[in-house]
Amino acid sequence: MKDLVRQKLSIHVDVMDLLNKQIEKEAHSSSAYLAMASWCDHNALSYSADFFYEQAAEEREHMMKIFRYINDNGGTAFSPEVSGVNHDFKSLEEIFETALDQEIAITKSIHNLVGKCRKVNDYTTEYFLHWFIQEQMEEEQTMRRALELFDLMGTDGLGLKLLDERIPQIRDKRPE
Amino acid sequence: MKVLHQSQFFISYQCDKQRCFFIEFPHKTIKLGFCQLLAFRQQVKEIDLESHFNGQNIHGMEMLMLCNRQHFFVFNTLECIDLKEFITGTFAMLELNSLLATSV
Repeated sequence: MKDLVRQKLSIHVDVMDLLNKQIEKEAHSSSAYLAMASWCDHNALSYSADFFYEQAAEEREHMMKIFRYINDNGGTAFSPEVSGVNHDFKSLEEIFETALDQEIAITKSIHNLVGKCRKVNDYTTEYFLHWFIQEQMEEEQTMRRALELFDLMGTDGLGLKLLDERIPQIRDKRPE
Repeated sequence: MKVLHQSQFFISYQCDKQRCFFIEFPHKTIKLGFCQLLAFRQQVKEIDLESHFNGQNIHGMEMLMLCNRQHFFVFNTLECIDLKEFITGTFAMLELNSLLATSV
């Protein structure tokens, strides 16, 4: 009997399912960053708002990268539903802490995907995911740098305004 | 055509010559390309069996449209349970075939 699945699909079916789940997570992450941007905008933290608008766009790019990868390799990518996005925050510090937790969850999910690829010998997807591993490492570093600013500068008086102005620079320290 | 998997109500076949799959339902047989089979699998995976028993789906019916809306099916609770097992079994057989093809 011919291996019709392999003829049509370059990736393992179970891996395709996990990639579709990853699409949902990236979409949720993008929406969560938009909610954070909105909160920052409403609280006159315009630099942080711009930062989170950019983050939202970046997460959507990640989602599209996976989406195209599935379809390009013969699979079926499913457009995700997004619900349960939190819009209530207590402070900018809480937002960055939530953002770091979110990035850590995405990193774990990518690592889990790589583990599955190794288990089912899907080397093609494992290679594809290497870019995401590097990207996640950088995302976590960025969020940690933001939280370090809170420890260094505090948020009393003008502190919060000065801290907000430093937010665009936390990306600049990314390794090339 | 070779049988891939048979459950209580459904049978799946692979046709090497036409490079496609067939599913035999109690009242008709339909032809599916691989992408259509994947889409069918997704629809079956999304059936919430719990809703058949907790009163959310009081009629216990599921409606699925297959192959670019060429076919329309209505399944009852028993068929839905069988359908989930059937899809799992069919894809397990396809994976087994892939493993055999790789090892030869």
